[in-house]
Amino acid sequence: MLVVQIKPEEEILPKISSKRLFIFECLGCQEVYFPTKEVEKFIDNLKEEIVGKASLDYLCNREFVKEYIEGYSKQIKKAQIILVFSCGVGVQIVSSLLEDKIVYTCCDTLYLNGFQGLTVQEFNCDQCGECHLNYTGGICPIAQCPKHMLNGPCGGSQGGKCEVDPDVPCAWQQIVDRLAKLRRLDKLEELVTPQNWSVGLISEPPVKRLP
Amino acid sequence: MSLVDYTKFRLKPAEELRGTFKQVNRIFILSCAKCYKIFEEENEEEYTHLLDILGEDHKKIVGHAKIDFLCNNFLSEKRILNLDLSNCDSVGVNSCGLGIQFVAKLLEGKPVYALADSVWQSGDYATEIGYHGVSLEEEKCAGCSQCYLNLTGGICPITSCAKGLLNGPCGGATDGKCEVNSSLDCAWVKIHERLKKRGEKFTLESVPIRDYSRPSLKLRSDLSLQNQTLRGEGFYGGLHPLEKKGKTADKKIESFPEPKIAVIFLSQHAGRRATPSVRVGDEVKVGQKIGEADGFISSPIHSSISGKVISIEERIHPAFQSKDLAIIIENDGGNKVDPLIQPCKDFENLPKEKLLEIISERGIVGLGGAMFPTHVKLSPPKKKKIDTLIVNGCECEPYLNGDNRIMIQHPKEIFVGIRIIQGILGVERIFVAVEDNKLEAITTLNKFLDKSSSVEIVSLKTKYPQGAEKVLIKRILDREVPSKGLPLDVGVVVSNVGTVFAIYQAVVEGIPLFQRVITVSGENLAKPGNYWVKIGTPFKDIIEYCFDKKGEKFLEEYELKMGGPIMGISQTSLDSAVIKGTTGFIVLRKSPVKVSEERDCIKCGRCVEVCPMQLYPLYYSLYGSKGEPGKAIKYNVEDCMECRCCESICSSKIALLSFIKQEKEYARSSNKA
Repeated sequence: MLVVQIKPEEEILPKISSKRLFIFECLGCQEVYFPTKEVEKFIDNLKEEIVGKASLDYLCNREFVKEYIEGYSKQIKKAQIILVFSCGVGVQIVSSLLEDKIVYTCCDTLYLNGFQGLTVQEFNCDQCGECHLNYTGGICPIAQCPKHMLNGPCGGSQGGKCEVDPDVPCAWQQIVDRLAKLRRLDKLEELVTPQNWSVGLISEPPVKRLP
Repeated sequence: MSLVDYTKFRLKPAEELRGTFKQVNRIFILSCAKCYKIFEEENEEEYTHLLDILGEDHKKIVGHAKIDFLCNNFLSEKRILNLDLSNCDSVGVNSCGLGIQFVAKLLEGKPVYALADSVWQSGDYATEIGYHGVSLEEEKCAGCSQCYLNLTGGICPITSCAKGLLNGPCGGATDGKCEVNSSLDCAWVKIHERLKKRGEKFTLESVPIRDYSRPSLKLRSDLSLQNQTLRGEGFYGGLHPLEKKGKTADKKIESFPEPKIAVIFLSQHAGRRATPSVRVGDEVKVGQKIGEADGFISSPIHSSISGKVISIEERIHPAFQSKDLAIIIENDGGNKVDPLIQPCKDFENLPKEKLLEIISERGIVGLGGAMFPTHVKLSPPKKKKIDTLIVNGCECEPYLNGDNRIMIQHPKEIFVGIRIIQGILGVERIFVAVEDNKLEAITTLNKFLDKSSSVEIVSLKTKYPQGAEKVLIKRILDREVPSKGLPLDVGVVVSNVGTVFAIYQAVVEGIPLFQRVITVSGENLAKPGNYWVKIGTPFKDIIEYCFDKKGEKFLEEYELKMGGPIMGISQTSLDSAVIKGTTGFIVLRKSPVKVSEERDCIKCGRCVEVCPMQLYPLYYSLYGSKGEPGKAIKYNVEDCMECRCCESICSSKIALLSFIKQEKEYARSSNKA
């Protein structure tokens, strides 16, 4: 699940000026904050002709979007530009289903910590493919340390805070504190094998298709 | 369906696992049951595989628990802390990195071992995070917070190009295939083709330089915190639907024109249907009793107009949506009032029994929608000690404003009603619970609040279903109604604010329940508003009055819901009529699209996240669709209060509530047997 922010008006308005619009609005994942009110305001302020608007949840579901495109086919045909309010997944789905239409998104997408699973958390998992949590007392240096240091702190932290962003606690400070509590500081003596960052480059997609 | 299985983790390599087990003596294993996959069976394949790898060392395992959605910190914490972990020296976790970090934090004093590697799902090593939406599609989004899709024809170069190039191809592609991995399409070839189809052109000048510091760590953690707080506000689960109350929030309650024909159903309460006490041809007056209660859990019915009984026939009942008996009365326009309706000045001195009799005789039932006879609710069994009354003014459904307006316009009467209930129940503590989106109501109630009384007005954070009894009790008193129990099991009576007003009217003014406040709102209405409506007013009248149109083709174009948009009941006949439990009418334009086909559960876990009763609704649909009723009982289906949070959030649009009702029915009949 992702969360969106509306793009600045000056980025969108020149692109769509005096065009006929059709709008896809994702109602978002309703248990988290989605800027529905802001979207409503943005749409209300548009001066362009709106030939139709479809609101649905889970714009990221191709099957649903297909049915909506069918249901609104007349209006979509009339429109010169399809405007989408959703996360990046939704926009990609709509534009792949309407390949010959100009599809613009009005949103920038962010993710919430912990949402690779399904609950918002203060910690994250970057799905690195080789879990290091056994060495680090269960605190992830890849997700929590901006420098992804795997063999100890960079030396730049001050008062337990990260030098990249002083609002963020230093991951390694937390790791050392946690290991000290567990009386397992000896874990730090173990050398972590180099991370295979190429897993991050597109390799075989680790996902499998379902029948 | 081109669904993709987003399995998030896999067991670590055998060598590494054996190494880990060399370090431990007694280990407890926690496995996450995995998410984002087609949900079929609870299989234990991976655990068996682990045992195989371990050989003799498997004897070190002292216990094993499988948990659904291990990263759901709220529910998992309860379950893990309930496990007996005293016997082990360490805990091994088979889950994605989130689950492992969560357990490590929760059990800070114990070594926690990762038994799995999380699987990469992204192509963007710069933001590290690969992410997909809720549905299992191939499209990915890296959450870069600087969306480039407007420039690239809706194909994301960050997640689809191995090099994450933003301003054109690298030049290494051969025959449209990526040079990093020839089994993949070159993202930039696809972008070029897409743009050509759209008649657009990619220009380098248009590409802003990527700001790799976006989103800042601070912004990300703030947003996460904000969402965490919103989620946990007041109670676990729930939704924040759009309120849409603005249209009618400031509309004073008006009297709705009297119906020419009133259709008064004999079943307007939980319990047995009333028996008609008039015959066709009889003349009746306003407020005259026309149906007798049949037993203790039942309630009498009164005429809302004066006129002649022209028929006693079956009509579509708005709540059951099946045919049910109704008394049809033709209005004579005379508005002759039943002489029995007399105000009572001396009500403060009436004994408790007399008050209960008045409430029962004047047909008062719960007006929040459940229509439970109020006299029954106010006569708890002697052995149950009631110490608290909660007056429910939450009205958490979108659109509705009836209770809100009653609180704003009749605060004094509400406090008198509360005193009457207080006299009957003998309770000391009284709370009036109002959601914080009804500021005017809160201010008004506080203005008229007798400071010396034991009534307290509590303002609650707005969230659906705040107004559910069990949620309110937990929220205000931190008492948990036991499984299958009632509020009175924890010493509480919850009464809707509209009911309190009806009690005032019945006792002080002598008026039986033959009218109520409803909100009519929704789309394309000429006269949305809050109305005093006579019970029995046909829906046709309401549509014609509020909609300015004849109602003939109405149900084809619009969806009419009695109640709020979430729990409301879709209506199929305009010949049906207002009953005591009608809180409002919501008119919504029918979508030209009907997403009808049900899909498989993909185990996204949303229903578990939103269930205020902390249930696992996905199991109800799993067993229900497999035709294995009864299995869901172990997942406490009987505690479901049918708030529909799970159904409205289901990413596969599964009709969860119908499965739940089926399972509940099964549980009820097997309990009896």
